[in-house]
Amino acid sequence: MSYLELPPMGDLRIDGTSSTPAIVCESQAGFLEMRGDSYPENSFEFFMPVLAWVEDFLCRCDRPLTVDLYLLYLNTSSVKAMMDIFDMLEESHQRGRQVSVNWYYDKENERVAELAAEFKEDCSFPFVISQNAG
Amino acid sequence: MELLDLYTLQQSYNQNGVMLCFNGPLTKSLIEEIGYALRSYMRNESPSRSIDVFAAYIEMTQNIRQYAASKGWTDNQTTATVVISHQDKEGRYAVSSGNVVEAYDGRQLVARVEALAEMDKSQLKSAYKEQLRKPRVEGTKTGAGLGLLNIARKASLPFTCSLRQLENGKAFFTLIAII
Repeated sequence: MSYLELPPMGDLRIDGTSSTPAIVCESQAGFLEMRGDSYPENSFEFFMPVLAWVEDFLCRCDRPLTVDLYLLYLNTSSVKAMMDIFDMLEESHQRGRQVSVNWYYDKENERVAELAAEFKEDCSFPFVISQNAG
Repeated sequence: MELLDLYTLQQSYNQNGVMLCFNGPLTKSLIEEIGYALRSYMRNESPSRSIDVFAAYIEMTQNIRQYAASKGWTDNQTTATVVISHQDKEGRYAVSSGNVVEAYDGRQLVARVEALAEMDKSQLKSAYKEQLRKPRVEGTKTGAGLGLLNIARKASLPFTCSLRQLENGKAFFTLIAII
């Protein structure tokens, strides 16, 4: 599937709601950040612009991409969308691109760490899961 | 019109440890509002259990809405009965949902749930990962077919479910997950 029919984009900013994460994509910096819970009913629709941005970024330049995640609860359709993102990163990494994921979680919230660890199983690029400081 | 005996209803809720109960048309915003209440009721619970109960609630209710949407039912026809209770001596929660389905779909659903109930945690994980890797079905905007698998993975006990035959080829499907 291709997400490229959408217009090319520079930066992308999506404000968070109680059921969707805040998302920042910065093209120049090669940076993507997501914060919060993600359980929209229409996860695929919700993540479409982010999937498009990642595909666009990976195709149109060769700068490294750093993904910082402060995600908490994800419903299964959000999990699926995240896997699509990680698959694109993995494919790019296999072709020699520098990509990395940092997933931060609170110490008491071990479910988040377990979720992140399960994603990491399928990724060979640098994928660091660490406790939030403080 | 017969008056509802709310006291009897309240006694029954209390005996069954019902902390939250909903019956009626299930909208997207109601799922969020009830979920918000659920989270605040569980504020003193361990974050892991709280997130597992919340996840079971979200997957069940979103499944019900998605099923109704796949049938072309309106918001008003998308009704559900959702109960979250806490009575288990071991501190476990029961997340239960009931909804009207086509009898044929109901029988398939029961078979699927019973198959999941037979699986151990490692089989459930493999099945989950396999389902995650399946390409999206063209035309479905949302579901990933992962909801039931995910609940089964988090549950403390195997699923229980039942199907009650109704008129006009419909049936009432009940699913209970113990978290």
